[in-house]
Amino acid sequence: MFDFSYRFQWAQAMRHLPRMLEGALVTLEIAILSLVVGIAIAVLLAVARDSKYIWLRAPATAWVEVARNTPALFQIYMAHFGLGSFGIYLSPYTALLAGIAFNNAGYLAETFRGALRAIPETQTRAGRSLGMGQAQTFRLIVMPQMFRVAFLPTTNQMVWAILMTSLGVTVGMATDLTGIVQNLNARTFRTFELFAIAAVLYYLIAKTVMLGAQLIAWRLFRY
Amino acid sequence: MFDTAMTWNDLMFMLRGAGVTLWITAIAVAGGTMLGVVFGVIRSSLSPWVTWPLAFVLDILRSVPLLIQLVLVNSFQAIAGWGWSPFTTSCVVLALYTAALVTEVVRGAVLAVPETTRRAARSLGMTWAQDQTQIVFPMALRVGLPSWINVTLGVMKDSALVLWLGIIELLRASQILVTRLQEPMFILMVAGAIYFVISFPIARLGERLEKRWREND
Amino acid sequence: MKHTYVLAAALGLSLAAGAAQADKLDDIISSGVLRCAVTLDFPPMGSRDDNNAPIGFDVDYCNDLAEALGVRAEIVDTPFPDRIPALVSGRADIGVASTSDTLERAKTVGFSIPYFAFTNVVLTRDDTGIEAFEDLQGRNVGSVAGVFEALALEEQMDEWGGGTFRPYQSQADVFLALSQGQIEATVVTSTVASAIVESGNFPNLVIGSEAPFGIDYVGIIAMRQEYGLINYLNLFVNQQVRTGRYAELYEKWLGGATPPDLTVRGVYY
Repeated sequence: MFDFSYRFQWAQAMRHLPRMLEGALVTLEIAILSLVVGIAIAVLLAVARDSKYIWLRAPATAWVEVARNTPALFQIYMAHFGLGSFGIYLSPYTALLAGIAFNNAGYLAETFRGALRAIPETQTRAGRSLGMGQAQTFRLIVMPQMFRVAFLPTTNQMVWAILMTSLGVTVGMATDLTGIVQNLNARTFRTFELFAIAAVLYYLIAKTVMLGAQLIAWRLFRY
Repeated sequence: MFDTAMTWNDLMFMLRGAGVTLWITAIAVAGGTMLGVVFGVIRSSLSPWVTWPLAFVLDILRSVPLLIQLVLVNSFQAIAGWGWSPFTTSCVVLALYTAALVTEVVRGAVLAVPETTRRAARSLGMTWAQDQTQIVFPMALRVGLPSWINVTLGVMKDSALVLWLGIIELLRASQILVTRLQEPMFILMVAGAIYFVISFPIARLGERLEKRWREND
Repeated sequence: MKHTYVLAAALGLSLAAGAAQADKLDDIISSGVLRCAVTLDFPPMGSRDDNNAPIGFDVDYCNDLAEALGVRAEIVDTPFPDRIPALVSGRADIGVASTSDTLERAKTVGFSIPYFAFTNVVLTRDDTGIEAFEDLQGRNVGSVAGVFEALALEEQMDEWGGGTFRPYQSQADVFLALSQGQIEATVVTSTVASAIVESGNFPNLVIGSEAPFGIDYVGIIAMRQEYGLINYLNLFVNQQVRTGRYAELYEKWLGGATPPDLTVRGVYY
């Protein structure tokens, strides 16, 4: 079964570890930025989807459904080459960020909408009767509760975002972890060793983020 | 509406690509679901002290980008001399990935069945197997099926990645046409529409099931 | 009678020994099929005709080799990133896929002597004002990740500072990015550049001056330890030139001019 005529050259691949770690930072950076942008848009989308105005509801629904029903790879490819045919040129970095943020927003909007519905109507009424404005009530009473309910799905989305950053190579992204590993791979043909190290790094990034999220949750949401 | 050089022949080319997408998805989901149910039952009935190696491996499958997994397995099967075709490699990787996701769905669903209900079943003299098939399964199915549909759709969309190994599925077929026809926006829109047409109705069905079953609770 | 047994035993032994020693070259000859990894989005070296059948210089080269071996050729379509896995896994016996013979890669796979040589040119759009190679300074450029000209271009861009270099995963994506305006120029093998300009698919692309990267020699690749096969490949490449078949294929796929010289002056391979 394991009749290797191939000799693994781990030392050779490990020499590139510092560059791969730099790439891992870029990966983390894009994932975090895309999540922040995604959350901001998702809150708007979640509110807009239950709006009584069709001109708010329709585009928000379209965004959510397209984001959820087409591949992330397609969305990123579209952000680069699709928009490119309209003369809108996003650099690989921006296209990747835009594609993932678009995807994040679509998924998180549904999460937030579900969370909003879980918050009793009485909370809003209580806020209003204390003399708060509609926006103020939403910001101070509803949103914090929404984030608490949606926190776990949001951390999951963060992990998805990390995984999605690997798709940047298809639009010419060269500085993230996958981009750097693929470039080294094309130079040396040491595919297995390089991608195995990359897999370990991705796993560590994902675990670190989950751990960080748990710490934040503990700080923010303890009663 | 659009002035395009795309022919029916080209559209058929894309639809054949969509067929490949569906075929890979079907194989991966079938294999992954079987494995995932077994793993899920193991994970939810045995102590974590026993199942941690399994949990660890499944966790890796969920935390490493699918692209990396595909490339890694492809080069490993190459090194080991198994001589798998890119199609086989893709199906294996996607099936394992599906299994990791389905395991969590099954575990969540099984754990959602109240402990008291299961104890009641056992105290009525049901065996473990009877408890599993007649009490846990029907109740867990309601909780798990909508999530399982989401997993299936996720795998269908993620299968676009197998283009990396040279398989001409829907997205790769569109790239080939883009190269020849130079109409990226139009062709990509068609590709997006095909994905949407496949995914949207099933997603809606899942939502409806979830809603109806929740109302009956 | 006794002799027959001894003979049979000896024959059996030698057969077993023979089986143990059989190398890739034997495997190819006895299986009757030569499987060549060829990259089919790299015209005119490899592409597909209207019926999606593989065509190109590399495809013909593989067919010639199969004929010399007395076997049937089978083209395995491999994108650039899949060339090595295809080879190592035994999905393909050899790769005739314009693989630059860098020392770094030769640590992993075996190369034949060069079977083709590319020179590189600047390819740009008609509205960028780029002509000479030096005009690329400070511009956004791109190329296929990891190929000879990409490595050289990236290094040069680093040296100049400013501008960006983007590695794409296929030649098709590079041309798409270039014609859309995502990047302003690429450096690409002259053969590919003229094929793409002549195809008429990209009316706004023009060929600029030659890039000072030296000559990009490409070899046929095989498993590093298959000396028998690599020896055969070396002789085959030599014979292709000697018999004039190399010039013939060059004229068929690249047209006119004399085919590039495959030798380096002043040194043995």
